[in-house]
Amino acid sequence: MTGAAHSKKIGLVLGALLVVTLPFWAGDQYQLHLAALIAVYWILVAGLNLVVGFTGQLSVGHVGLLSISAYTFAILGGTLGWNPYLAMVAAGGLGGLCGLLLGLPSLRLPGFYFAMATMAFAMIVNELVLANPQLTGGGIGLPGPAFPAPFDTPAGLYYLVAALAAGVTWLTWNIARRMWGRAFISIRDNPVAAQAVGVPVLRAKLSAFVFSGVTAGFAGSAFASLQSYITPDTFVFELSLFFFVCIIIGGRGSLIGPFLGVVVLTALPEMAAPLAKLGNLFYGVLLLVVVLVVPEGIGRMLELIGERIRPRVARHEAVKPDLARLTRVLAEQA
Amino acid sequence: MTTVLVTGLAIGMLYAAIALVYNVMFSTSKVLSMTTGHIAMLGGVFGAYFMQVLQIHWVLALAGSVVVGAAFGALTEVLAVRRVLQRSDEHLWLLSTLALATTVQQGVGLWWGTEPKPFPRLIPQDFSAGIADQKYWLPIGAAILIALGLDQFYRRTMYGKLFIAMSEDAFAARARGVSTDRVRLLSFVVSGVLGSFAGFAAGQLTFAFFALGHVLTLSGFIALAVGGLGSNVGALIGGAALGLLSAFASYYFGGEYQQTIAVGVLMLVLLLKPEGLLGAKNVRPV
Repeated sequence: MTGAAHSKKIGLVLGALLVVTLPFWAGDQYQLHLAALIAVYWILVAGLNLVVGFTGQLSVGHVGLLSISAYTFAILGGTLGWNPYLAMVAAGGLGGLCGLLLGLPSLRLPGFYFAMATMAFAMIVNELVLANPQLTGGGIGLPGPAFPAPFDTPAGLYYLVAALAAGVTWLTWNIARRMWGRAFISIRDNPVAAQAVGVPVLRAKLSAFVFSGVTAGFAGSAFASLQSYITPDTFVFELSLFFFVCIIIGGRGSLIGPFLGVVVLTALPEMAAPLAKLGNLFYGVLLLVVVLVVPEGIGRMLELIGERIRPRVARHEAVKPDLARLTRVLAEQA
Repeated sequence: MTTVLVTGLAIGMLYAAIALVYNVMFSTSKVLSMTTGHIAMLGGVFGAYFMQVLQIHWVLALAGSVVVGAAFGALTEVLAVRRVLQRSDEHLWLLSTLALATTVQQGVGLWWGTEPKPFPRLIPQDFSAGIADQKYWLPIGAAILIALGLDQFYRRTMYGKLFIAMSEDAFAARARGVSTDRVRLLSFVVSGVLGSFAGFAAGQLTFAFFALGHVLTLSGFIALAVGGLGSNVGALIGGAALGLLSAFASYYFGGEYQQTIAVGVLMLVLLLKPEGLLGAKNVRPV
């Protein structure tokens, strides 16, 4: 028990060390950019994970939220010249509001209907972006504003998004393992039973969506700044699928699984050139294989392998009646 | 004005045909496959491939695309549906069919190219024919043909009755000695045939375009949800209504808001009448 907690702590420290020192040993600017991109994706996926992995609402439209907040950030921070931090907070707020809107149909629509509604949401956002060129630049796009010093260099921006990602991870970790996380999982596994034991289904679902909307808002702002130029072509439906695949491959109801999913799926096509050419075909095949072979996700598979190597010790806890206390209480009553 | 009407009706009938294909698969498996639109996409792309690249007569090309569609339907059942239904997790089929749909779409994109390519004319006709043009009447005819054919199939053939039996109660059908696995496979093959036929017929309207799948999956589903899940007449009405509405909307407000309006209709119908116009009321499971 303590051994596992100890190794977890060591892993955490090593991971933090790796993240902090990355700009010093990264081979070139592009690898640093890639690391920052992973952090940005993770900010969104961490929020989406609460919706898809924990609450079990199959939203495939989160790219719409990313698009909305990236454009909000670019318009407020670039065109209108707001302070980038203020623009980021505004984008987060708008993202939360749009997350609420996206979550509203989930109260009424069953699985497939809801997935279709979110897919339509992503398509509508793209359509609206293209239809309002005076605001969004239409097909030409908009430049994403940079953050002021010390976050204007690639390494500075990397630290900013890494810190944001760490903060979001901490938040989701706290939500996931406490009361709210349990409520989310109960809604995923059986909404009727959850309601019967007093879980506020409506509030819990909408909270998950609002939280994921806010994280998508921050991710969108960082994304716009990182890419330095955004066009509607950036926010294709396949990107949404990518987020979704990360969570499913990592395993629903886990935090480390989706994180590994984001890291591997972002880095792998960049490291192996033939995979980059195949791009989305690769994601499709991978999702198919995972759903058919390990539907619980790779995270769960690793857990099972770990348990085989080091079997979990089932602690024996006998329920012993406290006879002395019982006689005392009975004597008091008599 | 008539042009708008005929265009809307033509595209609406394509949606209706997709909705009918959804129904065929849904009847035996209770699965709404994300690959439905991609079947029609394959019909269009392979039709263009057979006719333009291989220079085959259009009757043979139609036969070829229908065979491709049937093979894809069978593949969907074997790969993405059969094993997942055995595991009986509610949402898993959504993921597996979505994965298969993406794989096929991207595969076609790599092989065929990402640009929409023209679909050749089937019947010699002048391009100035206006609303009598075959690109409008072929999809309308195909959808009506599919609807009538399905009606006869359900009424008169043994397998049609098996489909109905399975849609009523798959366990009871199995208990009565129906090989439910084989019937389900057959229904996916039939849906592949019908979907690729509709995609082929509408090829001149939609072009041979790899990214058509997701749009058709969504629009066909909207037609289905508006008309009512499981109802073939409802699918025709829903498809026609959706097509006409988006055609007139883009005539009056410009083409930018097509999806927005289509989804607006869906949301309105689902809020007012969640089971659709002609669908059976589904009882909430407790």
